[in-house]
Amino acid sequence: MSEAQGPAFRRAVIALNGGPTDSRIVRLVSEQARLTKAELIAVHVLEIDWTLPLDSDVSGATDEVQRVLDSAEGIAEQSKVRLEPVLLQARDVGAAIVDEAVERDADLLVVGLPYRKRFGGEFAIGRTIPYILQNAPCAVWVVREPISEEPR
Amino acid sequence: MIGGRRPLKGRKPADRRVRVDRPHSPYFRYTGTGQLVAKAAASRPLTPTGRLVRRIRGIVFGRPLSTEEEIGERLSKKKAMAIFSSDAISSSAYATEEILRVLVLAGAGALLLSIQVAIAIALLLAVVSVSYRQVCRAYPNGGGAYVVARTNLAPIFGLIAAAALLIDYVMTVAVSTAAAIAQIQSVIPSAYNLRIEIAFVSISLITIANLRGLRESGNIFAVPTYLFIGLALAIVAIGAFRIVSGTAIPIPPEPDAVPLGTSTIGILLLLKAFAGGSVALTGVEAIANGVPAFKPPEARNAANTMTAMAVLLGILFIGLTVFAVQFGLRPTLAGGPSIVALAAATAFGNGSVLFVTFAVSTALILFLAANTSFNAFPRLAAILAEDGYMPRQFSFRGDRLAYSWGIALLAAVAFALLAAFGGDTHALIPLYSVGVFVCFTLSQIGMVRHWLDERSAGWRWRMVVNAAGAVLTAVVLVVVVSEKFVDGAYLVVILVPSLVLMMLFINRQYSRASRELAVAPDLVVRAPHREHRVVVPIPGMTRAVVQAINVGRSVSDDIRAVYISDDPDSAARLRADFERQVPGVPLVVVESPYRALAGPLLAYLDVLDSAWPPDREAPITFVVVPEYVARHWWERILYNQASKRVRAVLLGRPHTVVIQVPYRREDPAMFEASPDDRDRGRPSQPQPTGAPRQR
Repeated sequence: MSEAQGPAFRRAVIALNGGPTDSRIVRLVSEQARLTKAELIAVHVLEIDWTLPLDSDVSGATDEVQRVLDSAEGIAEQSKVRLEPVLLQARDVGAAIVDEAVERDADLLVVGLPYRKRFGGEFAIGRTIPYILQNAPCAVWVVREPISEEPR
Repeated sequence: MIGGRRPLKGRKPADRRVRVDRPHSPYFRYTGTGQLVAKAAASRPLTPTGRLVRRIRGIVFGRPLSTEEEIGERLSKKKAMAIFSSDAISSSAYATEEILRVLVLAGAGALLLSIQVAIAIALLLAVVSVSYRQVCRAYPNGGGAYVVARTNLAPIFGLIAAAALLIDYVMTVAVSTAAAIAQIQSVIPSAYNLRIEIAFVSISLITIANLRGLRESGNIFAVPTYLFIGLALAIVAIGAFRIVSGTAIPIPPEPDAVPLGTSTIGILLLLKAFAGGSVALTGVEAIANGVPAFKPPEARNAANTMTAMAVLLGILFIGLTVFAVQFGLRPTLAGGPSIVALAAATAFGNGSVLFVTFAVSTALILFLAANTSFNAFPRLAAILAEDGYMPRQFSFRGDRLAYSWGIALLAAVAFALLAAFGGDTHALIPLYSVGVFVCFTLSQIGMVRHWLDERSAGWRWRMVVNAAGAVLTAVVLVVVVSEKFVDGAYLVVILVPSLVLMMLFINRQYSRASRELAVAPDLVVRAPHREHRVVVPIPGMTRAVVQAINVGRSVSDDIRAVYISDDPDSAARLRADFERQVPGVPLVVVESPYRALAGPLLAYLDVLDSAWPPDREAPITFVVVPEYVARHWWERILYNQASKRVRAVLLGRPHTVVIQVPYRREDPAMFEASPDDRDRGRPSQPQPTGAPRQR
């Protein structure tokens, strides 16, 4: 595959946050993965605060958590690509995503970035994506959602 | 649905994470809160036999398709033409012959009139196809004449159209298969003796292809359809060239040609020829029935396919008729070559590669004409089933999104008909084309009403076209019925009302059940306050009985076991064991000197009901039936026969709920006696559930 079509990869970890960027990045990566027959792993991390044990049944409390991964799996299937959904509970989302990518020996990590502004109008990137960009050993794609015309 | 959690270390001690198992993931997909979608694995059979059957089904019919894949199964115009038009196009292979068979009775001069008859039929085809173009656009959900007549006239007219169409589709399969076999006979005369076997094989193959789904059957059937169209057009072109160049010389008649008759040419003979040739119009309505099978924009694609089909059919029908007349082709006696075979021999040369290819493609398209019915019949049956006029199973789609029940029914009935008539086309044709003109007429009248009500742009000319079509097709219907009545069309006249009555009966049953099952919209369902009691009919002291009693105990404290026996000694032994081993549950022994089981049990329940205080609401009686789960399918015949009878008897009993408790041998340890219990004595011989001692 040429670089113009997109970078070649054999195993990609897609970080899902349950927002509208999820379907966009899964569709995008699935289309690429179909061409190279690459493996896809979708990771959704539930951040557990320090007041609860790390293995507490937080994910079982709502079907919505499962829907995030199931919907990603469905989108990948439409592109005839198999996607392994992984649900994690962790104290820090960024660290969990990077650790999962390291453990899976992924050569690409894909994250979606919602377009948000801080109070005062400055673009807010949050703390997870900078952490991933600084710590992930593999290539990282950051896909920012388009700027909506509606004021946010 | 959430299972275990697996702790994982991170690169730093504080970065520990937990991977959460998702046990639902292989079988279901969440689409919202409390909303799951089953995956293919959820329907995967669990037993080895089930898996084997599924594998065989996968090889024969293909992998199961999900509902989401339906859009991918839609037909392009080219494939739809092959599927929905093969019936109409193929009728050009025998419609000319039907005209000539009638006119030959009046001698050689009368055969010349076949061109005028063919032109008159082609004009009717033009009117009908324009009308059905409008049906495609006005009713994009399909259903054709049934939906038009039901919506614009009255439901009963819709049912008449539907019944006529259903009969006609069965006829199409039978007639076209018989005609295809006749075509094979033209090349291989000995095939006549194997006609029923050939019919069975061809109907079976078309059935399998259709059960594989719409798109695949389109792929399979497109090549022979277009091959026939191409070669038939070539015959027409060669004929036209020879006629124009003045080289069209009449060929000598075949030795087995039908002898020229001496009847006078009268209006009745012409009408009979017209009625015979009108089989050319059968299948025209199939596209209007199957509009949803087209790729979007469905209505426009269906309407354009309809026009293309009508133009092709008109050219082939008139072209072959002119060819037959100009070259002096005469129909032959049963078993001889057909008119199209003679035309191909004249155009391409007898025995030439093109002749043999055309003979093969004609046989194939005639077989495939049946395929049109295999698409239209199940769709119509599905619409009728959704409206409650046919059993609901007909609206269910199979593994490959095909209406499997409709396909199977059509195959069975068509083959039975073909076998009953000995596989003879001419014996079947009188039954044919009556139904199709009934629904042509009804749909056109319905469309006149539709335009009158709607009055959209261009409604006047559209209404005029439909009104003219209605009058013409009504006239043809009268002619067809009167001409073919004695020959067998009376059967259709009997069958249509019978089918309509059957559909009305089914609808009444569904309506009644629906009324009985309806929950008032303003009803808020509260928790019940009714008292419960449990009766456990037992066949002896077995693990299955113990399990059933435990289930009964969880339902209510008011529980009793009932043992019905014709042997007082065994009853006494059982009582001793039961009272010792199941304390707290009273055992009622009912002696049955006449060896009946169900009757005394029912009578005992009635007595219990009678003994209930009249000032209190009658309780719900839970009859808990122990059952032994056999290891193998063939073992099932040995067990649970008595419990099956008990269930059957109790099914309609008021205030009674039957609970089956299967014993699966999954936890035999819980039934082992503890050392303390063992000292109290040896239990009597257990008797498996449903043992033949009890009746």
